[in-house]
Formats: sequence, C-alpha cells, structure tokens
Amino acid sequence: MNIKELNKKKLPIVRIDNSLEKYKNAPIFQDKVNKANEMLRTVGLPKFSAK
Amino acid sequence: MQLPRYELKAEKSLMVFEFLSEGPKGKIPKLIKFSETNLKGVYNLAFGDKNQDTGEINDLAVSNNGDSEKVLATVVATVLAFTDKYPTAMVYATGSTQARTRLYQMGITKYLLEIQKDYVVFGQKDNIWHPFKKSVNYEAFLAYRKKH
Repeated sequence: MNIKELNKKKLPIVRIDNSLEKYKNAPIFQDKVNKANEMLRTVGLPKFSAK
Repeated sequence: MQLPRYELKAEKSLMVFEFLSEGPKGKIPKLIKFSETNLKGVYNLAFGDKNQDTGEINDLAVSNNGDSEKVLATVVATVLAFTDKYPTAMVYATGSTQARTRLYQMGITKYLLEIQKDYVVFGQKDNIWHPFKKSVNYEAFLAYRKKH
C-alpha cells in the first residue's frame, strides 16, 4: 500500500501501547456504563429493519 | 473524506484508546473506552480527560482546547477501529452532560451522509429508538456497521 492509498483509508493507524492495559478492567466511566445498562434494560434495542 | 484527527494509541484488544489533544491549553491526554454492557454485543463508548499526574479520568472536564472537531473526528476514528475488529458490535453513546450530547449530535449531523455509507445510526428520544434524523434532539445514540 502506498502513501496515497494509506491516506485515503478511513481506518486510523493505531499504535499498540501496553501501558493502557490497566484501564481495560478498571471501573472507569462505570457510572456511564450503569446508565447505559439501565437505559438498555428499559428501552431495549432498536428494530433492525433500517438499513 | 478524511478529517484531521490525532494519532491513536490503544491496548491490543482495541477497547481502550488514548490520544493527545493539542491546543492553547497545552497537551491534554484523552482516554476512550468501549465497555461491555449487560446486552451482549452492545458496548458503551465513553471518553474523558486523563490527569497526567494522578492518571484519574474525568469525563466532565471541559478542556476548551480549541480542537473539539478534531477531538470528535478522533473519537469517530476509534469507532472505525473498534468496529473493524468487532464488526458485529453495536456502539452506544451519550454525553456526560446535555451540552456534550448536543455536541455529539452536531458531529453526527455534520457527517451523517458519510457515516451512513458504512453505519446504521439510531437516536433515542422519549425512550424510543428512531433512525437518526437531522434536527431532532436525541438523548443517546446507537450505531452499528452495515454488512457489505
């Protein structure tokens, strides 16, 4: 893949940084996850007929 | 279309990302996390500022670093990377505040045609999910990758 093709690509280039592993199981943003769970419990998911 | 966005770092499962916002207030590390919810395949997207001294994350911080569009474009880029790795995942997002939800809404609205090439987007209003439409104020958003 040349530079031109790389620049056109929508996918970002992501550098792996193992120091971020500690956040994977840490309870950060837990209040938002709780709110999302509550909302998903009451509202559910959309109907998936839309394209 | 390729919007300016920041370089991204992530741990290997691509569920936690970090980038550096750069502006008049200096370099501010931002952390993005895709967390599993109680519904299988649905992930909550959240992001906030990382305190460089304590490592604590604050999702209510208003950094005013003059780069909100670039920050949003970078957050969108993490959704691209995440759903490339987990193509059947659904991503749920809402702002920490009404103002931030509005900011997300404006970002989605601005690039809706581009987003809809690859994603199905819903907005939640009055406890009902609707196909995302411009000029409707939603309380939360859900998107998933179209099958091509």
